[in-house]
Amino acid sequence: QTTFNWRMTSFYGPQAAFYSTGPGSARDLIDRIQRMSNNRIRIQFFGAGELIPAAEGFDAVSAGIVEMNYANAYFWTGKTFAAQYFTAVPFGLNFQGLNGWMYDGGGLDLWREVYDRFNLVPFLCGNTGVQMTGWFRRPINSVEDLRGLKMRIPGLAGRVYQALGVDVRLLPPGELFPALERGVIDAAEFVGPYLDRQLGLHRVAKHYYTTGWHETATASELTINKAAWARLPNDLKAIVENAVAACNVISEAWCQKNNADAMEDLIRNHGVEAKELPDAVVARLREENTKVLDAAVARDPVTRRVHESYMAYKARFDAWSRYSEVPYHNKIREA
Amino acid sequence: MPIQEIYAIAMLLAFFALLLVGVPVALTLAISGFVFGWLGFGPMLFNLLPARIYGVVTNYTLLAIPLFVFMGVMLEKSRLAEDLMAVVGRLAGNLRGGLALGVVFVGVLMGATTGIVGATVVTLALLALPAMMSRGYDRGLACGVICASGTLGQIIPPSLILILMADIMNLSVGTLFAAAVFPGLLLAGMFAAYVIILGMVRPDMAPPVPAEERALIDTRQLLLRLLRVVLPPVGLIVAVLGSIIGGVAAPTEAAAMGALGAVLVTALGRRFNATLLWESAAAAARITAMMMFVLICAQVFALAFRGLRGEQLVEDLFAFLPGGVNSDILFMLLLIFVLGFFLEWIEISYIAVPLFLPIFASSGVDPVWLAALIAVMLQTSFLTPPFGWALFFLRGAAPPEITTGEIYRGVLPFVALQLLAVGAVFAFPALATWLPRAIGW
Amino acid sequence: MSRAADTLEALVEGLGRLSAVALIGLVLVMAGNVLLRYGFSAGSVWAQELEWHLMSPIALLGAAWALKHGEHVRVDVFYARMSELWQRRVEFLSCLAGLLVSLAVIWLSWRYVMQSWMQGEGSANPGGIDARYILKGFIPLGFALLALQFTALLLRLAPQLRR
Ligand code: NA
Ligand code: NA
Repeated sequence: QTTFNWRMTSFYGPQAAFYSTGPGSARDLIDRIQRMSNNRIRIQFFGAGELIPAAEGFDAVSAGIVEMNYANAYFWTGKTFAAQYFTAVPFGLNFQGLNGWMYDGGGLDLWREVYDRFNLVPFLCGNTGVQMTGWFRRPINSVEDLRGLKMRIPGLAGRVYQALGVDVRLLPPGELFPALERGVIDAAEFVGPYLDRQLGLHRVAKHYYTTGWHETATASELTINKAAWARLPNDLKAIVENAVAACNVISEAWCQKNNADAMEDLIRNHGVEAKELPDAVVARLREENTKVLDAAVARDPVTRRVHESYMAYKARFDAWSRYSEVPYHNKIREA
Repeated sequence: MPIQEIYAIAMLLAFFALLLVGVPVALTLAISGFVFGWLGFGPMLFNLLPARIYGVVTNYTLLAIPLFVFMGVMLEKSRLAEDLMAVVGRLAGNLRGGLALGVVFVGVLMGATTGIVGATVVTLALLALPAMMSRGYDRGLACGVICASGTLGQIIPPSLILILMADIMNLSVGTLFAAAVFPGLLLAGMFAAYVIILGMVRPDMAPPVPAEERALIDTRQLLLRLLRVVLPPVGLIVAVLGSIIGGVAAPTEAAAMGALGAVLVTALGRRFNATLLWESAAAAARITAMMMFVLICAQVFALAFRGLRGEQLVEDLFAFLPGGVNSDILFMLLLIFVLGFFLEWIEISYIAVPLFLPIFASSGVDPVWLAALIAVMLQTSFLTPPFGWALFFLRGAAPPEITTGEIYRGVLPFVALQLLAVGAVFAFPALATWLPRAIGW
Repeated sequence: MSRAADTLEALVEGLGRLSAVALIGLVLVMAGNVLLRYGFSAGSVWAQELEWHLMSPIALLGAAWALKHGEHVRVDVFYARMSELWQRRVEFLSCLAGLLVSLAVIWLSWRYVMQSWMQGEGSANPGGIDARYILKGFIPLGFALLALQFTALLLRLAPQLRR
């Protein structure tokens, strides 16, 4: 039997919690694949910077120099804007909804189609669940409070904030803490309670705005070089497919548990004030987000196809939610 | 022993040999890396080289290098630096080692503004090396104190080492910044104490500024000059530091404020003109490019080291260990020290630290303390010959009559002081762990 | 031969000067971004990305220029004690190796740049600077300049290798 010695690079550091270590992480995924295949696939893991810089994995796998890369698709919007939809779209689907679109609503097939010209086969391999809006040094009571606010927020969400007058700063993660601490920026967005606490953001900004409008459930991606994937026999392919599906669920569960604990700790022991953005702010963000997405759709036919598939699924999922999850959250959950 | 590990060892030996023969530093890295990497695993892995080079030349935090170097060159070319040191020498009076103390002090201040060693070393060298040489300082001491003080920025926050440690060890950047404050100040204190003691024991090595030179400037003139020449550069450093502390600029942006400030200060001193601007920019660009070229070529070496499974070599060494947490820590520190002779700190961090982390995590070692220990030890890698960043930067900025041998000889006492500081943090963990707890970071 | 070397070096000098221009640009753009932050945020993502776009030409166009001006450092513990003849021989072999290294990097980076060009790669930040292949193109360009400068040095050293 042929054995495969592969390399996996990652967008995240070698010890990053959730992404590189812990249940459902890249290392856990490797461990599952190796055990299920009885080591017929062996994978050497490299965190960001160990073999190549964080953002270089896409090209390295595309060129077939490395077989696998772990990241989030929305880091590749510079290569194709459609990639945004395979991670998280502002005001988009939650974990359940995204899984539904991916597995049964044609999302995964579209993803494969979009990545095909890059010689990549993408897999859905993890999820943080809903992220948080972020850490603010001052409370946000109105849309006016956003004007001139200096915020570290990369990507699409930054563009939406910018339309509301936010001054978007692109700082590297390493300068995020000192900048927020000294007031160079007034606000910063990272992930969720557990990972944010690790970064120490609660020590320098006390207003924690919750449920992230910008990342309602953030999917992790595994990409495999197309030729490398084609070489795998069917049983090993099945093993990889099952391992990523397992990690997708397990990582999200891990996040829920740890975020719940961390949030309680932040509020109880660190004086953090958890709050929601005012309705008027959310409404304006939604409005601007629609404009930004419409513009992107108008520019690129591939993005249009993905957008339409996503939104069509979302409409049906939302309708069903009104009979299922919405009453559950509003009436049944809290007796 | 697998053939790849033999190639890895041969690569290290070839690197040393080429370096000693006098092949330019950058090329020694590229040649030994390419030759033995190609023998060991062929061209495949080298296809990742462009991605690594791109990562280096677009690295946001490295932007501080050209900016601070420009600031330093501008101060030197406008002769502000020379005047500054003359006044510092006058202020120090008949204190032996006064200029060297000034270097340590400026090193601390600059260290608090940047985490980039190269920029600080170059600035200090341009500021103070000619002044110390002309006043009869031992060249080795002059070089040593500049290199050592220039590296203080890597331990005094903000610091690139601490940011990378936080990333690799999955800790809060803020906690590590706080943890490094006392070890950093301890080091600075040790450097200062060494200079003072040396001044007492060996006055010939660190003479006071001659009385006749001091007599040239009377007290009234001194006050006047103080305003004219000391205020601008000190104001510059305060402006950089102030824009960080005052929340005007992030650490790297503050470097740009320093560069712009240097232009303003020279203009206010009526020394600014287009030629000065162009010459400063040209010199700074070439020094930066030289540094970056070493860093780029180091990517070839690091990639080859990975491809030849150098980390496996390190891991195999580790298997020989008797065991016990403390001996593991000491071994790791020793390893970092030894790797410092031929690798640069980023690569050391990526090779040595992840290897040990699982072991320490399971045995309950305080990760903050561990990170501080690693950071102080990593700092020695800047100073240890033959591959020490600080040494290369000084070599690049020093006048040709200074020999590399003098630089090597001069840093050795400071390397010893560094090791002493590592020992202190090891023996008294509170040096690192107290402040983060006290301020709740 | 030395005429050929002069021509090559003139090219290195000309393009190398752009690295100093980029450095002045970096000071202005970055300090400008800090100072203009208050009350002026339009186009700021573009301007912020420009900051680290300027590092690439400083480093890569400047490398050959620094070589021309003899600024690349070496360990001279033994080198300083060699006769001038032997110093020239070491230098000649270094330049030969440097030329090979430069050609290797050009060869390796070509596909990397083409990949970006074929993808039409832009910025991951909406409103950022697109055309990443230009930024990546500085890698082969910088090493091409290095190859020229190493060649110029080889041409100058070649006649002086025998006593
Ligand atoms: Na520092
Ligand atoms: Na060293």
